[in-house]
Amino acid sequence: MARIVHYINQFFAGVGGEDQAGAGPVLLEGPAGPGRRLAELVAPEHEIVATVWCGDDVAADKVDEIVGLVRSVDPDLVVAGPAFTSGRYGLACARVVAAAHSVGVASVASMHEDNPGLDEAGAAAVVASGEVARRMAPSLERLAAGIQRLLAGETLTAEDGRIGAAARLTVVTDDNAATRAVDLALARLGGDSAATEIPLPRFDRVTPAAPVADASTVMLALVSEGGLVVADNPDGLESARATKWLRYPLEDRDALAAGDYMSVHGGFSTAWANEDPHRILPLDAARELEAEGAIGELLGEYFVTTGNGTSVANARRFGVEWAADLRRSGARAAILTAT
Amino acid sequence: MALTRLVHQVREVGFGQRTSFADGVLTVSADEARGVLADEALASVQLSWVSPGQSARIVKVLDAVEPRSKGPGGGGIFPGFVGPARPQGGGETHVLRGATVVTAGFLPRAQEALVDLSGPAAALSPLGATHNLVVEFTPAEGAPWERVDAALRRGALRLAAALAEASLDAAPDAVEELPSPSAGARGGDLPRIGVVTNLQTQGSFKDVFVYGRSFGAGLPTLLDPGELDDGAVVSGQFGHPALKNPTFMHQNHPVVDELRRRHGNDVEFAGLVICPEPVEQGAKELISLFAAKVCAAAGFDAAIVTKEGGGNADADVALKMDALVDLGIQPVGLYAEMAGADGTGPSVVVAPERATAMVSTGNYDHVLHLPEMEKAYGGEQFALVKAPAAASFEVPTAVVYCALSPLGWGRIAARSG
Amino acid sequence: MERAGIPTALLCNLVSIAERVGAPRIVRTRGIPYPTGDPSLDVDAEKRWRRELVDCALEALQTEVQEPTVFEAGQARVAAAAGADHA
Repeated sequence: MARIVHYINQFFAGVGGEDQAGAGPVLLEGPAGPGRRLAELVAPEHEIVATVWCGDDVAADKVDEIVGLVRSVDPDLVVAGPAFTSGRYGLACARVVAAAHSVGVASVASMHEDNPGLDEAGAAAVVASGEVARRMAPSLERLAAGIQRLLAGETLTAEDGRIGAAARLTVVTDDNAATRAVDLALARLGGDSAATEIPLPRFDRVTPAAPVADASTVMLALVSEGGLVVADNPDGLESARATKWLRYPLEDRDALAAGDYMSVHGGFSTAWANEDPHRILPLDAARELEAEGAIGELLGEYFVTTGNGTSVANARRFGVEWAADLRRSGARAAILTAT
Repeated sequence: MALTRLVHQVREVGFGQRTSFADGVLTVSADEARGVLADEALASVQLSWVSPGQSARIVKVLDAVEPRSKGPGGGGIFPGFVGPARPQGGGETHVLRGATVVTAGFLPRAQEALVDLSGPAAALSPLGATHNLVVEFTPAEGAPWERVDAALRRGALRLAAALAEASLDAAPDAVEELPSPSAGARGGDLPRIGVVTNLQTQGSFKDVFVYGRSFGAGLPTLLDPGELDDGAVVSGQFGHPALKNPTFMHQNHPVVDELRRRHGNDVEFAGLVICPEPVEQGAKELISLFAAKVCAAAGFDAAIVTKEGGGNADADVALKMDALVDLGIQPVGLYAEMAGADGTGPSVVVAPERATAMVSTGNYDHVLHLPEMEKAYGGEQFALVKAPAAASFEVPTAVVYCALSPLGWGRIAARSG
Repeated sequence: MERAGIPTALLCNLVSIAERVGAPRIVRTRGIPYPTGDPSLDVDAEKRWRRELVDCALEALQTEVQEPTVFEAGQARVAAAAGADHA
């Protein structure tokens, strides 16, 4: 009998909602939440011996701790989710299975194909779930089937509902790239309109959010990847390959004085930004529009990171966290400046 | 213009009293070579032959040049550097195939490149299979780096011409009559395929020269492929080791070679367009639209688009591919992928939108385990891994000279597995 | 943020990259180092340009889009009138 550990979030563990999003991680004995049904589906061959849960706000940053708890019970397999389309939860599930996979523990996560966490699963398997928790029952059935196959030593494929990018592996070719390029041109000219060696990258293409009906009635946020921080960068924002983002207050401010702010971005000359910080964050113009009533209200702080060689993984996490934060504070739209 | 390549195969190399070439043996006078390289920006130079199969590694590799000559004094070879800046690409050109002149050492903004002459990385670089005359150097005290760079470039080209001059009287191993594309003229029913080659022209130490001048402010233009053979395009671009196109690769442009080989069989070689690769979006857009216009005027049915450099250079390929599609020309882009060590990252930084035919030249991040070598040239240390240059270490494919050649030299690719 | 239902207006100069990664609402700016400025202008003119950019961003945020769409500051109303599906 194989020993399974199940990773879920605070909500599915029955601990609480957003109020508990900062809690955990916690190790529980046996299955919990959706794990109870999953345990039935994989029994009697296999057993869920433990559950680890963690709050959505902190889980993506506590993967090492979570995986430590998971490994403390020496499992044969780790399963995470289903996370459906929930961004923070999906990110955590993906990172947990990626980390477990990289230390040699068989692992599988379940989430919807549109979950922004999907690309974070690395070489670990992810099977498709439904879009929303209403689809829990069929999602668990597919996940259970995937667990059975993995524990039988097999590899999951699209037939098992496996989703996510297949790894790009290096191969040696018979012909050099120049020959292959001319061959490909001839194939295309010959009518094979799909021929290519590189599938178009899945850049996590998002369906645009609905517009705001009337900007004069909503709260708007200013956010930036231009590295604009308060003078002397007391919080240590990185100039490249950022691993964090920061927030700075805008309440009672109508303008950003030169000298009070600086850009730490390492990808361009920051002389212009330092001369006038509004060149990165247009607070003066936004306040004007707020006073005229064209903007309902400006959020009382701005969010900032550095977009310079920043990994897609971190950038995605910043986006997920910014969205959660803006929704909590009531902001409904954002102006994002990019360098 | 028709060009004939007189190819002399170099089978053995060494140093001797005077520079000579006979029966496949290239002998170099180190004194003569040092004289050719002498420049007030260089305090001294050191010469070594480094050959295939040796337990040897060259680090901090800068440019590589294939020895070529069109006659005494170069006969016009490397126009703008050795010969006068006048159009070349016709007549006869002597080629010392299997040998290179390689400069190696520190220059600012140069990213550390590596060549192994044995072990798993040897097959990944064109210099892993050639006899390489390595030029190491000590800059003169107080010499500005730009002057050191210029002295090395001119010196290596002069030396390459001088070595090939030794073969002028030798009987060639092969005579290659090279077809020349006839722009705009449709000769038959074969599809007209051409090549669009982007040159990374992004300032000092990241620049490419055409007829001796930086191509940074240039617009896309047709070049006769024979002009590449005669060294009209010279590299001064030292970024992205695996994704760079040294002078050697321009002289032996793999897509040009392929189109010449197939010309009259299954394709008609439609022409070669060279383009600068600027750093600013507006310029990238203008040059891409302009390049497509030139391809249309030259009657291309399809164009192979090549790049040089990393992420932002992907945009130049993508914009050109889309611009070509919009004019009814079928583009194929050569892309190196940046998929992460495990191959699961988004692999192309900027993909085309309307055009979708791409060829993979491998994964930049794929990890290689390199064995210890007996001897290293070009520097004491390999800074990326903070190890002695000859030591055993793990590196991404990205540091191996031309390993992901954007001009299509390599025989690796990334595949979804 | 878009996936979470928060529409964004992305102010940037490298518009082709923004389009290719699928940013839905893009406002074109004049240089990489100064997304909401233009140091070649005098102080008042630069302020006016910044105001136009933010006006344009508001226009974008109130416009229904299906795919990456580039909005040009100073021409926002023209673009909207020319066929953008105004919400």
